[in-house]
This record gives sequence, C-alpha cells and structure tokens, in this order.
Amino acid sequence: MSVRVEVNSQEHVVDVPEEWTLAALLRDRLGLTGTKVACGEGTCGSCTVVLDGRPVLSCLTLAAAVDGAAVRTVEDGSPLLERLREAFTETDGFQCGFCTPGQLMSALALLERDPSPGRAEIIAAMSGNLCRCGAYEGIRQAVERAAGATA
Amino acid sequence: MRAFAYIRPASADEASAALRTGSARPMGGGTDLLTQLDRGIRPADSVVDLRGLGLDDIAPHEDGLAIGATVRVADLARDAAVAGGYAALASAASAAASPQLREMGTVGGNLCQQPRCWYFRHPDLQCWLRGGDTCYAQIGDHRKHGLEPGDCISVAPSDLSAPLLAMGARIETSERAAFPIAELYRRPSEDDRTTLTLGPGEFVTRVLLPAPPESSAYARAGERHAWSFALAGVAAARSGGVVSLAAIGVSNIPRLLDPEDPLAGLPGLEMTGWKRRLLAGLVDDALNAL
Amino acid sequence: MSPRLVKSEAVVEGRTEERWSLVEDDHTPEYPDGPSPAPIGVAAQRLTAHARLTGSARYTSDIQLPGMLQAAILRSPFANARLTAIDAAAARAVPGVRAVLTPADGFAPGGSAVLTDAPAYAGAPVAAVAADDRDALAAGLAALAPEYEELPFVAGIDEALGRQDFTADPSEYERGDPDAGMREAAASVSLELRAPAQMHNCMESHCAVAAWQGDELTTWISTQGMFAIQAELADAFDLDLERVRVICEYMGGGFGSKDQAGAEGLLAAGLARITSRPVSVVLSRREENLDAGYRAPAQFTLEVGAAADGTLTAIDASAVIGMGRGGWTPPALEPVKSVYRCANVRAAVLPVRQNIGSPRAFRAPGVMEGVWALENAIDELAAALDIDPLELRRRNHADGDQATGRPYSSKNLLACYDRAAELAGWADRDSLKADGGRIRRGMGCASQIWWGGGGPPAYAEARIGKDGRPVLSVGMQDLGTGTITACAIIAAERLGVPVEDVRVHAGDTRLAGHGPFSGGSMTLASMAPAVRAAAHEVREQLLALASDRFEIAAGDLTLEEGEIRSVDGTLREPLTEVTGKLANAWIRGGGSRGPNPSGIAVNTFGCQIAQVAVDTVTGMVTVERVVAVHDVGRIVNPMGARSQVMGGILQGIGFALTEERVVDPTTGTSVNPGLEDYKVPTIADLPEVVCEFVNVPDPRLPTGVRGLGEPPIVPTAGAIGNALAQALGVRLHEAPYTPRRVLEALGG
Repeated sequence: MSVRVEVNSQEHVVDVPEEWTLAALLRDRLGLTGTKVACGEGTCGSCTVVLDGRPVLSCLTLAAAVDGAAVRTVEDGSPLLERLREAFTETDGFQCGFCTPGQLMSALALLERDPSPGRAEIIAAMSGNLCRCGAYEGIRQAVERAAGATA
Repeated sequence: MRAFAYIRPASADEASAALRTGSARPMGGGTDLLTQLDRGIRPADSVVDLRGLGLDDIAPHEDGLAIGATVRVADLARDAAVAGGYAALASAASAAASPQLREMGTVGGNLCQQPRCWYFRHPDLQCWLRGGDTCYAQIGDHRKHGLEPGDCISVAPSDLSAPLLAMGARIETSERAAFPIAELYRRPSEDDRTTLTLGPGEFVTRVLLPAPPESSAYARAGERHAWSFALAGVAAARSGGVVSLAAIGVSNIPRLLDPEDPLAGLPGLEMTGWKRRLLAGLVDDALNAL
Repeated sequence: MSPRLVKSEAVVEGRTEERWSLVEDDHTPEYPDGPSPAPIGVAAQRLTAHARLTGSARYTSDIQLPGMLQAAILRSPFANARLTAIDAAAARAVPGVRAVLTPADGFAPGGSAVLTDAPAYAGAPVAAVAADDRDALAAGLAALAPEYEELPFVAGIDEALGRQDFTADPSEYERGDPDAGMREAAASVSLELRAPAQMHNCMESHCAVAAWQGDELTTWISTQGMFAIQAELADAFDLDLERVRVICEYMGGGFGSKDQAGAEGLLAAGLARITSRPVSVVLSRREENLDAGYRAPAQFTLEVGAAADGTLTAIDASAVIGMGRGGWTPPALEPVKSVYRCANVRAAVLPVRQNIGSPRAFRAPGVMEGVWALENAIDELAAALDIDPLELRRRNHADGDQATGRPYSSKNLLACYDRAAELAGWADRDSLKADGGRIRRGMGCASQIWWGGGGPPAYAEARIGKDGRPVLSVGMQDLGTGTITACAIIAAERLGVPVEDVRVHAGDTRLAGHGPFSGGSMTLASMAPAVRAAAHEVREQLLALASDRFEIAAGDLTLEEGEIRSVDGTLREPLTEVTGKLANAWIRGGGSRGPNPSGIAVNTFGCQIAQVAVDTVTGMVTVERVVAVHDVGRIVNPMGARSQVMGGILQGIGFALTEERVVDPTTGTSVNPGLEDYKVPTIADLPEVVCEFVNVPDPRLPTGVRGLGEPPIVPTAGAIGNALAQALGVRLHEAPYTPRRVLEALGG
C-alpha cells in the first residue's frame, strides 16, 4: 500500500507491503540505516524513533499505520538533536554505538516534552533503551547536560 | 512477519464488521499483537487498527471519568484528572512495561494483552492455552507463574486491570453496555482457551471510572528497577470506608483479594511459594499507602 | 637493520600460546618516568563519535549491495532430533528464492558440515535459504516443512555429570598437599555455588555479508578478529589468504562471542558463491540466544582452610561446567590457583556435555565466575575466623604466579585494597547494617585478577602528507571499546598534534599488517607499542626535514600542538611549513609489537567494593555504589578507561542480579532467548560508581600498558554476593540474586 510520511522534515510517498514495519520502511525503502533493529520484538529500544512527538519502537510500528505522520530518526538535523550529540560525545555516552540512535531518539522526545527534566524523569524516560556496553552513566549525564543547555 | 492485511476502519460498525471477517484481530498499539503474529501465536489474516475510531479521549463521565480504549497508556499516566482522583491507576500506568511501549500501547490493548508466560509465547511450542495438550509450565519451569492450580498457570499481566478492578471500573464494548471489569476476564477452559470474554467482532471501547475513591495505591514488583512486566501487582482503594484489593500476577485473571485474608485460595505451586510472601508484602504496601 | 624471528609466549584468556614472531628493531624511547606525557592520560572524546551519533556509521547489517540477497537459517526446534524429511524442492520453487541448502547438499567448507540432519541442540542449523527479499525468504523457509524424529536429550548439568559425558578430559591441578593443608587448618568452610549461563546479547547480533568477484571473497562481518576470520574463510573455501578480504569497520559489541565466522559467515560466503550474488545473513535475537554462545554455567564446590591468623592452608575446589555441545573449556578455577597465596591447592574441572549450543568466551570467561565463587568462600572463611574480610585478603597476598613460580611484571593489589577501602568507607561498613527494618544494607569486597599483557604480532603504519594530519593504519577492529581513539592518542603524543587530528583506519584486513584479536584484554597492550614505534619513525623523519628546512639541529627541535618548535623557544612554525613542501610525497613509519620479557607473569589486578540495599518485601536488590580500583598499567585515555569499567560493572551486576538463561527441563529448549525474559540491566539499575586506577606503568612492558577490557567485570558479582550476605545475614548460593531467590532465602 502507499504510505505518505514525513521523515526528518522530508515528505516521502512509499509503497510498502501492509505487514511491513516502520523500521523496514526506513532502512530498506528509504536507506536510512541509522535506525537499528537489535531485537525486532519491542524489547530493547534500539529502533526507537520519534513519531508525532512520541518515542516509539519502529520494529513494532506498522508502516501502514504511519500514513500522514511525521517521523524523526537519528539522521535528523534539528538543533536539539545536535546538542544531544555533542553532549553524548562529551560524556562518553556510548561505546559500540548500536543502541545509540534509539537512545538519542528517546532523549529527544523527552526534552521536547519536558525541557528540564529531573534525574528521576530522565532515568524513567531512558529505561526502555538497553545498552549492553553499559554506557548508562554517560547517557544520563548527556541528557542532563543537553537539558541544562536547553533550559 | 506473516503477511496480513491492514485495515483502519473509521467507525465502530466498520470495525466490528472487519473483525468478523476471517481471522481478523483487533489492534491498539500493536505491541503485543505483532509479537504474537511474528511467533505464530493465534495467527491473523488481517489486523484491524482501532485507533481511527475517536476512542482516544479521557473525559468526565457521571461522577467519574470515561477513558477511551485507544488512549495511550503514557497519556493515562500523564493525565491530571487521573492522577488527581485515581492515584493507583496513574501509578500502574507509569510503571507498566517500558516508556516506548507505554507511548504506543493503548488502554484497551493493555487490558486485553495475552499472558506473558514464556511457554505460551514460545514459537515452537503449542501449549494448552494455545490449543495444545500440555501446560508446559506446570511440568517445567514456572518460577514466575501463578499461585493457583489450574489447567493453565499463566498469570494476568495487565497492570491497569488491578486498580480498575479495585476501584470498581466498568467496561464498555462494541457489543455490550457497561459491565464490571471483572466480567471482561475469564479462566480458560477445556473448550474455550481464552482469558477474555470478548465475542466475535467485539472490542473494548471505553473504561468507565466511578467517582474517585477516597484513596488508592498500587504496589508492584518487577525483576529489575525498570522495564519489567510485573511479577505481581496489588491495587488498594478505599471508598466509603470500604477497602478493596485486587492483584495481578498471581492467577489467570485479575483477582480481588479479601483484605482480611489476602492469600486465601492462593496456595502457591512447587516453584512459586515465594510469591506468597511477595504478595503479602505488596498487600501491606498498598494498604499502608492508602 | 634486519628483523629477527623470536619465539615468545602470550597468554590469551589463560591459554599460553607459543608463537614465532617477526620483530623489528625498535629504537623508540620509552616514556619518561613520572606522569605520562600529554595527551597520554588526558581524557579524550571518541574519534568515532560523529559517525556513531549521526547514523552514518555503517555496521555489517547496514551493508546494502546491488543485487544482494537475504539469507536465513532454518534451525531445529528440538534439543535432540533426527531430520526425517525436508522439502528443498518446494523451497526452491518459491518465487524469489535463489538458493537452498539442506544437509543433503553436503555444505562443509573446511571439512566440517555447517548444516546437520542430526541436530543435537535447539537452534542447530538444519538448512539455509537465500532469496531476493525478506518475504520470499520467509516463504522459502516455510516451504521447507521439515519433519523430525525427536530423541532423548540431556539438558541439566547434574544429569550430564551423572552420565560422565565430557566434552574434554576432566582435569585436576594439584600443588602441595591439599589434604594435609586442610587437616592443619584452624577453620575451614565448604560451599556449593551455582553460576548461571550468561548470554552476551551484544546489541548487534551476529551477521555477515559476503560478495565474490571471481575467486576473491569480500566479507563484511561483525567480528572481534578479522584476521582470524580471514584465515578461517581462506581455509574453508580453499583460497589464498590475500584473496579473502574481511571488513569490520563498525561493530555493535562482541564481548567474546564474535570470535569465529560462524554459520552466518560460512553460509553467507557459500550462498554468495552458489548464487553469484552478494548475500546477507543477520541473526535474529532468538537465534543469537540459541546459537551464538554464552558464558558456560558452572557448579562449584569449594573447601577452603586457614590457620587461626588467616593464612590459607588449603583450597580444594571442583567445577562442573555446562559445556553444551563443547568447545574451549573456560579457566573457571584459575582464580583458585592464583588470586591468593596458598601452598596446597587442588582444582578439578569437569566439562560436561549437554544438548545445548556451545558456549563461547564471554568477558573474563571462567575467571569472572571463578572469582565470584572463590570470593564467596573467602568471605565465609573470614566470618569463621572472625577476621575482617579485606584484611584476610591482604594477609594472603600472592607475590608471584604460584602455578609457574614466576614473578609478576607489576602488581599493586595492596594499594588497590587500601584505596578502595578508603573510598568505600569500609571501616564503617558494619554501621550500614540496618536495624532489621524493611531495607537492609551490606558492603562486600572482591579481588580481581586477569591477564592482559598483550604481545606480538601487531603492526601499525603511520604516515603524514602535505596537510600535516597524521594517518594511522592498524590491523585491528574496534568493538566499541575505544581502541581507535587510544591508538590516536599514542600517535598524537609522538607527533605533537591534537588527538582529533589523527585519522585512524582500522577494520579492514587490507589496510595494515596483522593485528590482535580484540579479546582477552589484548588489544591496546599489543597495539600501543606498534603505534608508538610507527609514529616515532615519522617523528624522527619530520624532525630531520625540519632541521633541513629551518637549519636547526634535529635534536634541538620538538613537535608540539601541531607546531615545530625549537627547544630554546625561538622557532614556532606550523607543521605544514615542512609537510606542505611534500607535494604528493609521504613520510611513512612502521611499527611492530615485540615480545614481552620471558620469565615473568603479566597480570592485571584490582579490588571492587559493592554496597547493596535489599528490599525485604519485594526481594529486589539494589546495587547502590561500587568502588572500583584497578591496576592495569599506564592509563592512555581516562575517559575511555572509565567507560570500560562502567561496562564491566554493569555486566557484572547483570550476572549477579538478573541474567540467567532458563532451559526448560521438558523440552530442553531455552524459554528466555529474548530480551523480555532475559533481563540485562537498564539505566535504572546503574549504581553510583567510584572508579580509580593505580596508574603505574608496567615497568616490564613496552609503553607500560596492560589490558582493561576484562578486569572490571571480574570482581563485581563476588563483591555484590558478599555485600548481600552481610545485608541478609545469610548467603545465597546461586546467582543471579533474583527477587525469588532473595525471598526464598528470607523464608518465603
């Protein structure tokens, strides 16, 4: 079926099978391979993208259901995301980087909803993004730092 | 993922009709449904997306609130009226699953999710609940299962169901006028291996909350500090001086507990005796928080 | 100067490997005594940050080539079975399916069959399909419709031991007279402990893409050892080494599990050859947890005796290790032999066979779980002797390697104990012990031992051209640990340029000479001297050219902050004043890693102290604080080093609290091969971590660098176990310490 979707401020009309996921649409149709699929069953958060302001799992989101929606991915160029990238770099908030696109998207959605979250809010909002390398301290500090810069 | 058709009806009637076709299944956020389909659990030839039906409001209703079935769990957790009057429900909504699953998952989907039993969800096993002959959990590893003997020892997983049950919420469906939430659930039986009373084409449309209780609380235990389905959860609510208690994670269905003897009828199984201690502790926690 | 061929020893995860190594003369001066010269030891941001944070880093599963096919593996659902029917023809008839392999095809590159009609564990590869797209692939797999005859299986370790079916001969190590030592003990303790199978769950699953051009094979693969894969594939497909190119530019974690081409690599290459199309194989999370290794579970029996003053008189230990279908037996009792001074030691290892996939190395394989077991016993002994646990450890400090009698190259463990105790508030630990209320607290310690000395062969090439920006080519891959950045730091020091000006090429067998396997905490200790030597060679030439250019003696010139400076301060010119004259010429340098001195043992050491809080209602254990002090030689990048420690501690917390594969006794299959029921730590499980290093360069090793990948995971679980025992007043004998086990211990 045909899906009209805005991805990182760019409009796309894509023809996809009805059972396809948003992750497949992004990676296989649009070539946006920054979004990573690490579990494919909604458990790890690596594939998180921002869909109409919400952090969602693109591996469990049907492409057909995002018709008319706006999606942002790790490839986005928004200033807030750029600030998060700087903060993740400064705090060493990643190691292998495979979960990082999802971490960035959860952080982006959080800061857009709440520009100055407390530590507990940050931990709650980031708790669906697993990082096997264990970069959580840097991740938390990075979100705090980016929030501080925003506030 | 198996091939299926995606249908997004614009009215409840269309949705009911679509759901009566073939092996269609209703979809809210899809987080549970799609993982089931990937694993071949109750396959479907179409999924019917209920998010276009305008069921995404939280609005005053009589003395209480009406919560649309496709309200996201995260929005429920953030709602001021819910937080103000129904603390146990807000607490359950903010503790369920993971942040992304809460943003995606709907109230109706949360209430109707299938058990988290690792045998039920095993792609290569056809357990009793899926129509097979064997409850693998009873003869296998049931460390996280229920406290009640039965044909199936999986447990009710919905965090939201416990406070709703304790607070006397009612459910509206596409086919039925409002009825007590307890009647949404059933113990699976030999000839009907389901845990919900929804009939063909039927789906939850609204959850109706009565006037706010004087006080309510939800106590829950998981396997780690975040992003864990509940090992057990206990909701307590006090209205007019009467205390109600309801628990998930201990039985096939969300279960009302007797405040005087909360462990009654929950003897525990070979590997789940520890959950009796947990449940007793959570009951105390919930009651103490009232 | 001519190279020499020397025989050397290198210790990799406890295996001593004798190697012939080609060694070039190395005139690179050692670092001066005292603090490391900047930027060595100065926190540096990762050079890979931009790529990894913008989504532009290409991981193996991101490779998309024209005409590329998707392939997947059909796996046995049964723990033990015989394949009785499979419909390859039906699968081949599916539109879009390009190749099908079943056991009947005899696909056995290198002589060992990849697909089996006698699958002996759930997840064993039975068939493979390559197709144009995922939908055709799924249809092709479904069309295979395999039928099996189920066979009896062995899943439990106890049952496997009862059958005396071993994957390798049981071994028994003995020194001194353990029985006599136990008789003379004033106190002794005896414990049985069970360690779980811990799954790696790298966020990036195992995956490979293969493409042939004629008889040349290029493989993109997520691997810790691209040269090992190159050799494996060359052997498997009977190719000259140079006809196999292996690329691993970015990878999403390995933790020991990505040490072989695996079914995914061999099938990608095999199917690509059959179809003359590039082929991609990406394992699902479920496959990852069924057939890509795990930390082998172990059952320990330990008896430890000591004199009244705490001096150990005997250790008698055995470990039954659940080896699944077999493989390398991890050195689970190495800690028993080496952590503490003890003249009388017996250590028996029994690796048993089960109908489960094979284990693979997982960060400090054997040693981590062995230390966990030993440290539980040492704490019990301390209680029996009424000696402070940390003091008991100090009293049994081992000055040298007791198995070989060799001295350690460098050991500062006592300093680690002292500093960790100070940072943790160890002296007041008893005041944590609560009032018997709902939350109970405890503090526990554990020692760390691991190898990590590195060794040859490791090569690096450095060059600089007209733009004055050094380029480093190294024969290694970066799992995500930060070795690329560390190499840049080493080179930047010699060349007097900012770290971020160094460009590092890695992750491609065509780029440079052989580099180390990224495992065993070998990488930086192996690479650093080679990089330093290569950069130094460039430096010497740059200074010589600068001497010509500015007519100042080379010995009076230095390179700093991207400038050529005279020692007397009169000259300050940008580097490009020299390199700018090069046109298209390069200044080149090469470096190689020489062997470590013989007759010494090279190990890393450390101590961690954990503070836990236990909720006696929910059974939830919270690790509140971990103090980690490690002795790993010279610290190159403090920021990266701290991140390694954080990662090790978190995986140790996972082992201690939540991670455990559960194998169903009825069917012999794992019931939690996914991240919903197999629980790794989340950000909410992160404790406060206080991390310090005894930053003493190893005086016997070139550059003084030892490894850091493994050390931080080694003591964490033991420290948590001991803290929990103090908190609860009762010791849990099985990890992980889940709510269930805690509540059961409390009498639930």
